[in-house]
Formats: sequence, C-alpha cells, structure tokens
Amino acid sequence: MKTYTFHVSGTHCASCKILIEDILKEQDFIKKSKVDLNKETVEIEVDSNQSAEELATILTNKVKGSGYTLSLEKQSQEKENDGVVWKAIPIGLTFLIIFFLLQKSGILNLSIGGKTTPVTSFIIGLIASVSSCLAIVGGLVLSLSAKISQDDVSDTKTFLLFHTGRLVSFALLGGILGLIGSAIGVSFTFSAILGLVASLIMLMLGLNLVGIFAKNKITLPAGIFNFFRKIEHKTLTPLLIGFGTFFLPCGFTQSMQVAAVSSGSFLSGFLIMFAFALGTLPMLAFLSFGSASFAHGKHAPLFFKSAGVVVIGLAIFSLLAGLVGLGIINPLFNI
Amino acid sequence: MNKTVSIIITLGLVVGIGIIFVGDSKKDNTNTGSTQSVEIKDGIQYIRINAGGGYSPQTTTAKAGIPTKLIMKTNSTYDCSASLAIHSIGYQKILPQTGETEIDIGIPKAGEPLQGVCGMGMYSFQVEFN
Repeated sequence: MKTYTFHVSGTHCASCKILIEDILKEQDFIKKSKVDLNKETVEIEVDSNQSAEELATILTNKVKGSGYTLSLEKQSQEKENDGVVWKAIPIGLTFLIIFFLLQKSGILNLSIGGKTTPVTSFIIGLIASVSSCLAIVGGLVLSLSAKISQDDVSDTKTFLLFHTGRLVSFALLGGILGLIGSAIGVSFTFSAILGLVASLIMLMLGLNLVGIFAKNKITLPAGIFNFFRKIEHKTLTPLLIGFGTFFLPCGFTQSMQVAAVSSGSFLSGFLIMFAFALGTLPMLAFLSFGSASFAHGKHAPLFFKSAGVVVIGLAIFSLLAGLVGLGIINPLFNI
Repeated sequence: MNKTVSIIITLGLVVGIGIIFVGDSKKDNTNTGSTQSVEIKDGIQYIRINAGGGYSPQTTTAKAGIPTKLIMKTNSTYDCSASLAIHSIGYQKILPQTGETEIDIGIPKAGEPLQGVCGMGMYSFQVEFN
C-alpha cells in the first residue's frame, strides 16, 4: 500500500471533489482518495506497483473526460496567465470598439424595400448577424463555443448540432407561424427575460474564460457547472440551444417572425425564416468553428482570454439593454 | 514593461468605448425646433417619430394638457426599432415593416416625459411635455 499526492487542475466547483473521488474510487487498485480543493491536490492510497508518473497518466485518462488533469508537478499557469491577460484585454476591447463603432456608424441600417421574400430575408439575416443582435446571439455562441473547445469535448459535432438545430427550428417555427397566422410566443417580456438569462450565462462564461474564477477561487454553485458539464456531453442540448435562439431578443428575428406570420402559409413562413437563419449562419459558424481552430492552436490561452473579454463586454451591454427593454432602468445609451 | 504598455492601451480603449456610448448622442437627432415633428390638428396633437436604425428625433418637446397621439413611421425597418415598447402606457408592439402606426397616449401632464424603447433596449426616444 502506497500513498501518493498529485496536483489536480480543472476543479471549478465544490462538487468537483466528489466527482473526482467517485471516478478514482471506481479503479480497483485505488483504496482511498481524497481531494483537497484549496490546495488543488488529490491524495490516493494505491495497491499497485506502478510509478507515480504512470499513475498520473492512467488516472488523468480516467478524469480527462470531465475536464480534469492529474500531474506530479503543480502546473505553473498563474504566472503565464498574468502576462496573457494583459495582452488579451486590449485585444478584446479593440474588437468591442470595432463592433460598437459598426453599430453607431449606421452602415447596417440598410433599407430593403418591398415585400419580404426568402431572398430579402437572407440578406436581412446577413445584416442581423453583424448587427447588435450579435451582442446576444453571437456572444452566446462565442462563449459556449470557446468553453466547449476549452474543455476539449468533441466540438465539431456539438457545433454542427447547434447550427442544425438553429436552422431546422427557425424553418419549422417560421412555417408554423405562417400557418397559424398569429404571433405565438413572440412576447416581449418572455424574450427579454430569456435575453437577461443569456447575458448572465455569457457573463459567467466570460469571467471563466478570462480566468478570474480560476484565480480568485470563487467557487460557483455546483449545480451550474454540473449543468455545463452535462450539456457538453449530450446530443440533444446543442440542438435545443439552437432552437432557443429563435426566442432570444433580436429586433431582426422578431421582424422576420412578424413577416412569417403575415406570409399566410406554412411554406412561405418556412422559407422566410429558413433563409433568415441561413443568412446568419456564416457569421455564427465563423464564431463557433473559428473558436475551435484557435482553441487547438498555439495561441489558445490568448484566444480564450480575449474571447472572454469580448464576451464580458457584450454580456454587460446586453444585460443593461435588456433591463432597459423591460423598463426596469432608464436608457443609458443609444447605439 | 510589457504590462505597463498594455495598461496604457487598455485605458485608451476604455475611454474610446466611453466616447462611443456616451458621446455625440445629440449630434443630429435632437429636434430643437420641434416644429416639423409636432403638429396640432383638430385639437389633437400629433407627434411624428421615425423608427429605423434608432428613433429620430430622439428628444421631442410637445405641449401638455391636450389629447396626444404618437405616429410611428417605419420604412423598411427590420431592426430593433421596429419592436417598440412604451412602458408608462403599457404599450408593446412590433411595428409593420413599412407604414405608420398611431398610438394614443391620452392627455399628457406637464413634466412627465414619455419614453419609448426598443425591445432589446439599445434605442430609445423621449417626448417632453410642458
């Protein structure tokens, strides 16, 4: 019987302790395991002849799926992180400035006259995907994508499911709106509240990407992180999130929903909303697949932190805007 | 060394964002004369506001104490300004893409401005009554 102590990284939450201990206890040769969250260590009693290095590798393989790694040496990320953060903040802010300048410039207020056809709704989709709607829909896509890539889950599949879910649900719901001919679920308050929830999630993911949580050891409620851990591994969840974006507050989406309602038939509503979603696809696909390719590249830490800064900025913007939209606070800005 | 440079750049960028958000909101949107947009006809005051990429004029001054109607004018408006909410009178509607929408706001009292926001909250307009 031997006792080893390993450093463990990736522990975000109080329940990580239980999760890691459970996984380790499933191994036959481990008699006892104890995680110390404050020191980020795990102490195990083993009945095996393997060396500490071998054990670290074997056990890391077991817990990697949940986003943890075990190592002999404490991973000295803190120092590097510090330098990267100071590079990431100006980069993130630059992107935010470009984005808000674009909104302010009025370039996006193109007039597209006439009747709403699938072609015009495709163009409106293209505009919407770089408009202020990007703050909430794009911010959410960026933060979730970066988080998923960071946790090294099979990201391509998840993103494909998300975009498929979005396209299919927009088309189907558009068809239903055209068929029923009245606005179901296009309630302001509902979508505004959904928007607030989305911005809070973005804020949390953004802070997490920047590494504020990891550094100051603020442990989030275990439930929230378990929720994220779970959704990353499910097939249905990305589909559902794609579906949910239909109801997120976005003036363009709401206008298209009205256009679908007044189109008068399932097919025309279907085509209008499908074309609109298709128009938003290039930008959103760029955000999600772009995140993935950066996440696996050399500059991954810088990317995650810059993305975090962007996401935090967009989240604060949508949060304030959402509160204004609900009439809770007075307008602070006109973008 | 590197860090100091970054902090300076960061501060510069923060100031930049501040200017974008707070600055020039009065540039060409405030209707100082408020003659074109407010009209009294047959004892009813009509206030015209264009919706599309924001609302204009952003601030309008009108008379209090007479029946007043807002006319929201849209012209191929697909963005947020089409989804209008005026919380003080409980009004919420997605305006037609092109057209004029009349909103009865009753008889406004002096000193109680009316505020309209778009559904997502990034655009707003205000009508002051005196």
